[in-house]
Amino acid sequence: MIVAERKPFEEIKAMIESCKKVLIVGCGECVSVCMAGGEKEVQILASQLRLAFEEEGKKLEAGETTLERQCDKEYLEEIKDKVNDYDAVISMACGAGVQFLAEMYDSKLVYPALNTQFIGVAEREGEWSERCRACGDCVLADTGGICPVAICPKGLLNGPCGGTNDGKCELSKEKDCAWTLIYNRLDKLGKLDNIRKIFPAKKYSVQTTPGRRIHEAFKEKE
Amino acid sequence: MEGECHFLEGNKRAKMWVDYTKGLLEESGIAPDRLKMFNLSSSMAPRFKEVVEEMTEVAKKLGPTKIEKKAA
Amino acid sequence: MGDSEPKVVAFCCTYCAYAAADLAGAMRLQYSPNVRIIKLLCTGKVEPLYLLKAFEAGADAVMVVG
Repeated sequence: MIVAERKPFEEIKAMIESCKKVLIVGCGECVSVCMAGGEKEVQILASQLRLAFEEEGKKLEAGETTLERQCDKEYLEEIKDKVNDYDAVISMACGAGVQFLAEMYDSKLVYPALNTQFIGVAEREGEWSERCRACGDCVLADTGGICPVAICPKGLLNGPCGGTNDGKCELSKEKDCAWTLIYNRLDKLGKLDNIRKIFPAKKYSVQTTPGRRIHEAFKEKE
Repeated sequence: MEGECHFLEGNKRAKMWVDYTKGLLEESGIAPDRLKMFNLSSSMAPRFKEVVEEMTEVAKKLGPTKIEKKAA
Repeated sequence: MGDSEPKVVAFCCTYCAYAAADLAGAMRLQYSPNVRIIKLLCTGKVEPLYLLKAFEAGADAVMVVG
């Protein structure tokens, strides 16, 4: 899933300081699961903003709604009739959702409430870690299912480097050395030979910016 | 009491969210001291009286919030 | 009660704090009338929104007891 965290409250409050009515729009997908921008977080942010405004002697009408997801037009259309009643919209989706919402309602001020962080997994309740960099050229087949691009801070394909230290990274004792993990996993799988394999220079050209993909079946025929 | 909860760790979860919410209140400009968690057992009626008085004192000392009183 | 009186909301666990409040009544212990008790089957159900909503409704202090 895409993991995000809420922006500092002060930053969000400053964005809408001059507004009287804001619509806070949550997203029911990834950011719900990582407890950053789902229905509950929408309600909490709305409540916090109302309290903060009222404590300063101002009034804020904060509308609350959570869409199935914000990365599909069908769902974004659901707020079509509501949006015009508000001075601004706060999107609690990932960066993609915020942009799609802003694109559809391009005459409305749309503010982001989250900082999008990474593609990751849930380690336990309330903790997530990065697993994928969306590099466009997956190497997991050779690395025992552990990604050196995402987990090694240097993204080394032919590791480990000289900084590996008792399974930890030289950058931080908190970080695992991806290549130690890979070595141990390959050992377990009886595939240690893989570690001798030299990866050629990585095809960064497939990591296009901006990325775009059209499904084979949907490509326009000549 | 903490660790002697009927549902084993219900009150630990409550404490976790209370502590978190203190931060949310502070962000909204409401003194976090206005929120507090207490542990007591079913036989501690005098203690219940005490904690209620304690929070009433806190509310009196900090004065009313500027939030409109919407309920009775 | 006048407007000057503070409003306190107490979220109480059925099994301990609510029983203690009940017992306080049975023992004729007088405690502050400012408190409004909300009984929860488990205080583990307390979540940020419950507490924020209490403040939004005008509570001056909120306590979770359990």
